[in-house]
Amino acid sequence: MVNVWGEYDREMSEEQKLLKESLLSWAEKNLNAERVIKMNQQGYPFPGDVIKGLADLGIIMGVVPPEHGGAGLSWRDQALIADIIGYIDPSIATAAGLMAVETGWGFTIDRYASEEVREKYVKPAIEGKKIIGIASTEPQGGSDVAGIRSTGRKEGDEWILNGEKTFISGVYECKEMGGGYWVIARTEKADKPHKELTSFFVPIDSEGLEITEAYRDAGRGSLSTAGFVMHDVRVHESYILGERGKGFYQTMEGFDNARLLIGASACGVTRRVLEEAGKYVSEREIFGHKLAQYEGISFEFADFYANLEMLKCTYQHVADMQDIRYKEEGMPVRTGRAKTYKPQEIAKWIAILKWKAPHLAKDAADRAMHWLGAAGYTDEYILETAWRGVMSYCVGAEGGENIQKIVIARESLGDVAKPY
Amino acid sequence: MLQNPIEHLSVEQKNSKIIVCIKQVPDTQEIKIDPETGTLIREGVPSILNPFDEYALNLAIEIRDRFRNNSEVVALSMGPSQAAEALRKCLAIGADSAILLSDRAFAGADTYATSYTLAKAIKKLGPASLILCGYEALDGNTAQVGPETARLLGLPAICYVERVEALDGGEITCKRESEEGYELLKSPVPALITCMTTSSFEPKLPGVREIMAARRKKLEVWSLEDLGGSKDEYGLRGSLTRVTKTYTPDIKRKGVRFEGKEGVKELISALRGII
Amino acid sequence: MTDAKEIWVFVELTSAGIRQVSLQLLAKARALEINNRVAALVPGGNEDVLKELSKHGAEKIYVVEGLDGYKLDTYTEVIAECIKKYNPHIVLFGATHIGRELAPSVASSLRLGLTADCTDLSMQVDNLIQTRPAFGGNIIADISCKTFPQMATVRPNVFSAKEFDGEAEIIREKVNAPKSIFEVIEEIKAQGEHRSIEDARIVISGGRGLKRKEDFEMLEMLASSLGGAVGCSRPIVEKGWMPKSAQVGQSGKTISPDLYIAIGVSGSVQHQAGIKSAKKIVAINSDPNAPIFDIADYALVGDLYEIVPAMIEELKGEKNDRA
Repeated sequence: MVNVWGEYDREMSEEQKLLKESLLSWAEKNLNAERVIKMNQQGYPFPGDVIKGLADLGIIMGVVPPEHGGAGLSWRDQALIADIIGYIDPSIATAAGLMAVETGWGFTIDRYASEEVREKYVKPAIEGKKIIGIASTEPQGGSDVAGIRSTGRKEGDEWILNGEKTFISGVYECKEMGGGYWVIARTEKADKPHKELTSFFVPIDSEGLEITEAYRDAGRGSLSTAGFVMHDVRVHESYILGERGKGFYQTMEGFDNARLLIGASACGVTRRVLEEAGKYVSEREIFGHKLAQYEGISFEFADFYANLEMLKCTYQHVADMQDIRYKEEGMPVRTGRAKTYKPQEIAKWIAILKWKAPHLAKDAADRAMHWLGAAGYTDEYILETAWRGVMSYCVGAEGGENIQKIVIARESLGDVAKPY
Repeated sequence: MLQNPIEHLSVEQKNSKIIVCIKQVPDTQEIKIDPETGTLIREGVPSILNPFDEYALNLAIEIRDRFRNNSEVVALSMGPSQAAEALRKCLAIGADSAILLSDRAFAGADTYATSYTLAKAIKKLGPASLILCGYEALDGNTAQVGPETARLLGLPAICYVERVEALDGGEITCKRESEEGYELLKSPVPALITCMTTSSFEPKLPGVREIMAARRKKLEVWSLEDLGGSKDEYGLRGSLTRVTKTYTPDIKRKGVRFEGKEGVKELISALRGII
Repeated sequence: MTDAKEIWVFVELTSAGIRQVSLQLLAKARALEINNRVAALVPGGNEDVLKELSKHGAEKIYVVEGLDGYKLDTYTEVIAECIKKYNPHIVLFGATHIGRELAPSVASSLRLGLTADCTDLSMQVDNLIQTRPAFGGNIIADISCKTFPQMATVRPNVFSAKEFDGEAEIIREKVNAPKSIFEVIEEIKAQGEHRSIEDARIVISGGRGLKRKEDFEMLEMLASSLGGAVGCSRPIVEKGWMPKSAQVGQSGKTISPDLYIAIGVSGSVQHQAGIKSAKKIVAINSDPNAPIFDIADYALVGDLYEIVPAMIEELKGEKNDRA
């Protein structure tokens, strides 16, 4: 008996238990290990039936308030969903596409979008009919958001955007299904570079928007990663998200929301990896003993499990902070100020989670493959798929490790640690 | 001539109830035996909605939505307070309301006492056009509660139903499994139907919205006081059978072991004489 | 034998004659340790049927005349009337589709205790001890009725039919059966594509170890080279890969073939409950600790996708050698 959920099932509310049951039953038929591995090997586009199926279960942008077409879930609920999604698809493609991009960023888009953008893009995305996401990184870099080079200039009631975005998740899925991206551009003249940015919602089929070739990456194969170039792309001013000059802060908010869900998903990946490998080492015998009887394996297992339990507590804590923050700021639109926690404080905890959780999942998959030997290196087991996939959230995607460390150092060591 | 059934239900066609009897059961696939003590390990065994009851519920919802829009699907269960979980799931799947029959006096019921309690509750619920239940429960496997309840209510029972083919006028036509295959059986309504899952059955999976909506639906708990009568009619005391002994089966055989593809030859020769 | 107690066996008739379980129950009723007189309760039935029943242990036969084809409501009324009139000590039914709906219907009409799906019966003075598996076969319970007549349904194939000497006394019971409220519109015989696993001498079963529905063709091939039938475990029926009629186990069929080969079946207790009276059990599984090996006479540990084709090859070779 390998128990990777611990006492979680007992902690869950009746509703959370029902939802977990629905998700796992749905996955058994529609997104089982065999399918995840095959999807990963076949490459993008991410299958529409998976998007539709999960949308029908109401988990995409579940945190969006009901008056905007969401389910009004708490971040605590949504984080649990992300954990289960990571467990179901440890290649992390589903978590990247539907939790980080659609839910973390989609929620933030909804918060700042005009009625028109909401009706035309956010609501259909909640229903699994369109894709919306984030396009932040540019060819010269992504970590330094304040240094973004894309520009926007106003002409009448329109904005004209120019620049190039790259390493964007889901571009080809978005092209196929329709939708668009949150684009940050330099629009203002101010004393500090991060006050010069404005966020726009740019439909994927805008005139002058040219999609670039998709990358072939190590392991998130079933979701496309590509970019686009904007040559005088025109959007109406109602496509501004929030206020002019506030783009940097909104983007940081979006990153936090996406990072939280990725952290929770990575916990799910660790869960799946430990379960799969745990079963193997409990059954496999060598020199007359089960593999699990060797401390070289059981102690490593215990180490990963202990870290998993700690990170679960961390994401629950972060999710609770988010719930308090959004309650105080007001939902669905911002009407007040967060009092209990400063945004930087939440950002620090989220950075801890985003740094540690994918790392744990990657290390667990790595060691688990060692326990299984050659078998673990093949697609007979889901370990190598998990190992390659979760790496994407170690090296980058909503901020690489070093970016998280900068945030943590700034909040603990003080401003002296700021490299910017 | 026969013992008085509780009373006929009225043949209401519109605005009436479809009652689904459900049971929360331990997932018997997950039950293990302690090899040392030979006793059941119940800890950690998940409780599930009996799959045949889940099918019955899906069928009831389909009937509500396909044949008569005004009827209300009521999920009914007898069990300990934690069985409310299974009823909550029924509400999320699409039942309109739910009743849990829960009282210490109901505990230890055999199939007759269970049927008696359900029949009393069904009677109290008022006019129903159909009563559906799974043909048997995973833990008991008796398949008796359906037909016994029907008899106590004086209703026709149609057992092992896979599909409802038609429901019009005062009649229902069901496709039901028989020993040799299937039969199409027509019966007047109200009637009690016990359901058998079809292999193509895809249960409705409640999503976030349905689960949140279920929280707002009515789930009542009825006790002995609500059903009336004396303690002696219910539970262990109202049962007509008694369990005198339980023990774990011992069916172990000492096996000869062969390994892998190489073992095939040895196996085939060991089986010579049988094959 | 004035104070002999009557044990009744409800006899189920099919177009092909008497259902086997009815004869099995007559033999078991005769073997119960009580001063008994075994009676068959048969709806209609020609001379051949009565002769069969007499030969298989019925000492008395109540022939109920005036009943048409089987309908739950009319049979319930008539059998309940007969029980009230003659007050037998025990009434037994086969746990068939008919038995499992008719017995509870009769029992609840008369407010009598009833035990379902017994796998053994014995006497403790006047009390019938009814043994049955519970919790999906994980435990066995002994149950007795608080009311008389004592009633039980009994699983097919747990007892064997036997032949006895003597001539049964025939009692003809004429009834005016009420008209049934049911109408059978159509009877559909199951597709003949699957040989019945209950009658087969060799049964080959597939479980969760099989990855695809198509892989059952491999089992069919093995079955045809052995002259056996193909069955399966519960998860396979749940996936819709095989019909319910092919399911072996507690919630499926209890079978007692000469040879049972379980392929990729882990062997949950409820699966084991369906095969424990098989004469020889072979289990093929890649998990050396699969519970199925606990009840196997021959255990073959390995990958079924290698082993099954090798078995088919080997059997082909044997056949050629003999030819």
